Amino acid sequence: MVAYLRVQAHRRIVDWFDCNCGFGVPAKPLGGVLRSAADLIGELEFCGVGEAIVYHVAMEAESAQVGNRLVCEETADEPRLHPTWAVLPPQTEELGNVHEFLAAMREHDIKVLRAYPEEHRYRLDALTFGPLLEELVPRRIPLMIGPHWQVIADLLADFQELTLIIRNHGNWGDDRYFRPLIERYPRVHLDTSDYQQAEGISEFVRRYGPDRLLYGSGAPTLQMGAALLSLAGADVPTEAREATAGGNLRRLLAEVQL
Amino acid sequence: MRNDSKIAGEFLARGRSEACPVIDMHGHYGPYRAIYFPKPWADGMLETMDRCGVVCIVCSSHASLVDPARGNREMAEVVSAHPGRFYAYCAINPNYPNVAEEEIRRFGEDGGFVGFKFHPSGHSYPITGRNYVPALEYANENSLLLLSHTWGESQYDGPGLFGELAPKYPDVTFLMGHAGYGEWDSALAVARDHPNVYLELTAAHRVSGIITRMVEEVGSHKVVFGTDLPWFDPLYGIGAVCFSRISDQDRHNILHLNAERLLAPFREPAQDGGRHS
Repeated sequence: MVAYLRVQAHRRIVDWFDCNCGFGVPAKPLGGVLRSAADLIGELEFCGVGEAIVYHVAMEAESAQVGNRLVCEETADEPRLHPTWAVLPPQTEELGNVHEFLAAMREHDIKVLRAYPEEHRYRLDALTFGPLLEELVPRRIPLMIGPHWQVIADLLADFQELTLIIRNHGNWGDDRYFRPLIERYPRVHLDTSDYQQAEGISEFVRRYGPDRLLYGSGAPTLQMGAALLSLAGADVPTEAREATAGGNLRRLLAEVQL
Repeated sequence: MRNDSKIAGEFLARGRSEACPVIDMHGHYGPYRAIYFPKPWADGMLETMDRCGVVCIVCSSHASLVDPARGNREMAEVVSAHPGRFYAYCAINPNYPNVAEEEIRRFGEDGGFVGFKFHPSGHSYPITGRNYVPALEYANENSLLLLSHTWGESQYDGPGLFGELAPKYPDVTFLMGHAGYGEWDSALAVARDHPNVYLELTAAHRVSGIITRMVEEVGSHKVVFGTDLPWFDPLYGIGAVCFSRISDQDRHNILHLNAERLLAPFREPAQDGGRHS
């Protein structure tokens, strides 16, 4: 009975902090649609998730300029949602020059950035983003990117200390791609939203420790409770479960120097 | 509003459920070329199943999808070693019709086989092609299950093709693997309109809102659970079911009751008692 109670207790995670969810109206929904910040809050509450760093669908699908503005406007009165911004090449100054962009980030308390190199048609490399990345690295501002493995490998070769969060890595387990990056670059982290690999989380934690995985839901495209239960029931120590659920993201955000 | 599902609460608290055991109707076995599996063999799969409260699984080995003569024998050995925990589909490769005929002839010699597994996309051969006919006729004569890979807009296994086959083979129970992923309107209509067609959730479960749609438009009595294990974490799929906006009765139907009904003619008691408690 004592052992049973201990098992019950250790799976109860209080601090769920979603690193990868959003809201807004997509041109073509791939899954569910959460039209507004209030809709997203409703889904987070249904699943028992307390906080989230969020994007607006328009950031990717329409334009960074519009989406970055909307995500701030629509989360302004909701302290549980922390907005992220999309980046664009500094040379076009669509989001201002590097110093103007950083000043705007400070003004709006933006602590995480997202890159969409395919959708926004740019090269995420030192040539294009060097001036911005040279600021992000010492400030420890995390950059989120999808599973563009060659882009990521080339980028990290030039910016080894970049804080990177690889989101939505495929439901076909991508261990063969990401393990070399995890082993070489200590500030690379993985979102768990689509990391469906059976025993993937437990294998990862056993091999690389509790600090590199961040719980994400992938909502509204992905079903919010899926990654949540996958982590809640993972065969990992309690500390690793809690760190992945929210502690690691809080640590990364606390390290940011805007 | 917080999810008040007792099943979801139990899975969150314990990682498995006494009240709601799980039956996995879409499994595989062994390593596969394009993906790293931490636990591709029987002992590891059973560890995962026990951790998640999965009492049994119906599999086709990866080998059987390439070379059925070898792979079906491999699967028979696994079923024999773990009766009641592993069941099997006899894989048919339509590109080798003579081998397929031999596999059909052998069906029933090995215990624990519940029907056939087709992978028309993988074999680049349409499910309506003539090389599948012998297996379909045998399955119809013997009231077997047929799990087929399906994918939206596929010329080989798009969901509309099952609307053609279902009335021709009324005693076959068609399980549409991946539920016609992406071509949801067609897949749900076929499952709704044909009593012998079911939606199987592997991979489809990740799509937000789709399980709720299935329940509302088709009914939870026509949806079965699957994971492709050793591919996907069962708890990921169970989480998708637990946090869909459906009732606990729907969750019971999807996670085990429908499968219990479909497998009843083939069931054997688990020798180890299905260590899910």
